[in-house]
Amino acid sequence: MSERAVTVPAYSEAAVIEAAVAREEPDWLLARRTEAARAFDASPMPTTQLRPWKYTDVSDLILEAHLPATPAISIESLAPQGVFVGSISEAAVNTDMTSNVREHLGSVVLATEGRFQAANTANWTEGIYVHVPRGMSSAEPVIATIDASAVSAGSAIYPRVLIDAGVGSEITVVLRFQSSDAPLVVSNVIEMIADADSKIRVLIDDRWGTETREFTTARSRIGRGADVDVASLVIGGRIIKQTVEALIEGEGANSTIRGVALGDSDQHFDFVTLQDHIGPRSTSNVEIKSALAGNSRSIYYGITRVEVSAKGSQANQANRNLLLSGGAKADSDPVLEILTSDVIRCGHAATVGPVDKEALFYLQSRGLSRRAALQLLVTGFFQSVIEDIPGSGFAEEIEGFVIAKLADAEL
Amino acid sequence: MSESILEINDLHVSIADKPELQIVRGANLNIRAGEVHALMGPNGSGKSTLANAIAGSPAYTVDSGQILFQGQDVTEMPADQRACLGMFLSFQYPTAIPGVTMVNFLREALKARRGEEVPAREFLVELRETLKTLKMDESFARRYVNDGFSGGEKKRAEILQLGILKPTLAILDETDSGLDVDALRTVSEGINALRTPEIGILIITHYERILNYITPDFVHILVNGQVVKSGDFSLAKEIESNGYDPILAELGIAEEVMTS
Repeated sequence: MSERAVTVPAYSEAAVIEAAVAREEPDWLLARRTEAARAFDASPMPTTQLRPWKYTDVSDLILEAHLPATPAISIESLAPQGVFVGSISEAAVNTDMTSNVREHLGSVVLATEGRFQAANTANWTEGIYVHVPRGMSSAEPVIATIDASAVSAGSAIYPRVLIDAGVGSEITVVLRFQSSDAPLVVSNVIEMIADADSKIRVLIDDRWGTETREFTTARSRIGRGADVDVASLVIGGRIIKQTVEALIEGEGANSTIRGVALGDSDQHFDFVTLQDHIGPRSTSNVEIKSALAGNSRSIYYGITRVEVSAKGSQANQANRNLLLSGGAKADSDPVLEILTSDVIRCGHAATVGPVDKEALFYLQSRGLSRRAALQLLVTGFFQSVIEDIPGSGFAEEIEGFVIAKLADAEL
Repeated sequence: MSESILEINDLHVSIADKPELQIVRGANLNIRAGEVHALMGPNGSGKSTLANAIAGSPAYTVDSGQILFQGQDVTEMPADQRACLGMFLSFQYPTAIPGVTMVNFLREALKARRGEEVPAREFLVELRETLKTLKMDESFARRYVNDGFSGGEKKRAEILQLGILKPTLAILDETDSGLDVDALRTVSEGINALRTPEIGILIITHYERILNYITPDFVHILVNGQVVKSGDFSLAKEIESNGYDPILAELGIAEEVMTS
C-alpha cells in the first residue's frame, strides 16, 4: 500500500482548530480537538512489532496524505419521543443533547490511545449520537447509514459514533457503512455506554467498495446487569481492521462480540477483540467467523481477561476460519489471561481449515454444483451470527450478498 | 426387455488416499427399470465403497471398469452431474450440515435436479405431501440438515430427499440399520411409494429384514469386492438362516478381512 508522501496541512493543530472554529464548535470541544491534534502528532503509526498489528502492516499508510472528508449521514428511526437519534455534529453544538455528548464523548476511547483514535478525535465531522433515557426502549432498530460514496477519491473519513443507554433502557443500532470503489481511508471510533440493566445491540454492516481501508475502534463500557452485543458483517472493503472491546465493569454484566467476514481476491481482514471482565459474575461470548476465497486473508487476535475482581465469571471465545481456495490464509490467536482462580468457565477455540469434504460431497450428491454447495455451506457457516440479526428481511439480504459474492469468487 | 438403469462392468475401486487399498475388485451388476436388487455381503466386503463409487464420491478412485447409467458412461462424471441425471444415494451415515435448513437444501437440490427454478408454492406442496407420507412433522423442514437428528430421523431425511428428487436410480446404503420396526415400516412404505416401472432400486443391507417390506427381484452377494453369487429372494432368506459361511464354502472362497 505504498503512497505518495504528499501530505495535506489539514492534520496540523492549527488546521484542526481552524476547521473546528469554522464549524462553530464550543470551547470544550475545541480543547479536545487541540489535545487530539497534539496526540496525533505524538503518536507513531502502529508497527508490526505490536502484537495486535503483527499481520497488518500500515507502515506505508500516511494518514496526512488523505484529506479529511465528511460522509453523508441518514437515519431511519421509529424510536419513541425522548430517545435521541441524530447527527453527532449537531448534537454536540448547542442543543439539549450537548451536555450528554460532552460528558460521554471520549470517555470510553481516548484520543491519546493511538494514531487512529487521535486522528478520529481531531478530525471527525460527522457521525451518530444515540441517547436512550432511563427505562426507555425502541422496539425497532435504528438504522444509521454513513455513506462516503460522494467523497473525493483518496479522502479519509472519521465517523464518530456515541451510544449511551440509561438505566434499564434498550436500543438496537445498525451502522451501515458504504463507499464507492474509489480509494478511501476510514478511521472509526464507536463508543458505547451501557448503564445498569440496559441493553445495547450494535450491528456494524460494512458495505464498502473495493478500495476502502477501514480501521475501527469500538469499545463498550458495561454496567451492572447490562448487556452489550456487537456484531460485525464484513463483505466489502480491501483492508478491514476492527478492534472490538468490552469493559465488562458491572456485576452480572454481559458482552457478546460476533463477526463474520467473507473475503475474495486480496481482501485482508484483521479482528482484534478484548473481553475485559472486571465485574463479578460477568459473562462474555466472542464468535468471529471468516470464509475466505481467492487470496484473501483473515487474522484474529483476541484476549479474554478475567481480572481479580471478576470472581465467578464465565467467558467464551471462538474463531473459525473456512478456507475456500488454495490461496486463502488465516491466522488465529485467542488468548486467555485469567487473574483469579474463581472462574466458572473460560473457553477458547480456533479453527482454520477447508470445508468439510463429506458435507461438500453430500450436497454435490444431491445435484448441487461445487459452487452452489459452497454457497449453501458458507451461508450455513455464518448462520450462528446472521440468524438473529435485528430487523425484518435483513438476514435474507445478507444471505443474498453472501451468495452473490460467492457467485464470482475464486473458489 | 425394459431399459437398463445401471450397468457396472468389471469395476475396480480403491480408496483415494490409499491407492494400494483396492476394495472393489471386478464387480458386475445390471439393474433394469422397475427392478429392485438387493446387495448383501459380510462386513468389509465393499458394499458401501461400491455405492459411493457409483454416486461419484471423490473419496474413492475408480481404477478400471465402467459405470453406465441409462447406457451413458458416467465413470468420470462429477457427483453433481450424476445426481442431475437422476442417480441418488441414500447414505449410511448422512453428514450433518449446521446452519443449512432442510427446506433450503431441498429447494436447491430440486432446482439442480430439474435444471430450473421450482415455483415456491409447488415446492411447498410437494414437501408437505412427502413429509406426510413419511410421518414426519412439518417442523422437520426447518431444522438444519441432519444436525442433531436421531439415527431414525437421518434415515427418514434421506428418504424425504428421495421422495422430493424422484431419481431414476435409488441406491439405499443400509437404510434399514438403526431403525426400529415401526420406523422401518414407515421408511419402507416411503420407498415403495416411489416404486414405478421407470426406476431401479439397489438396496444394500446386512439383513433380510427390510426385504420383507420391499421385495427384491434379485439378490446379490458381494465378497472381497466381487459379486460372487446372485439369485432371487430365497438367497436372502438362506443367508438370514445360515449366514455367509455355507455360500463361501460352496464357492471355495476365503473371505479376506480388509481394513481401511
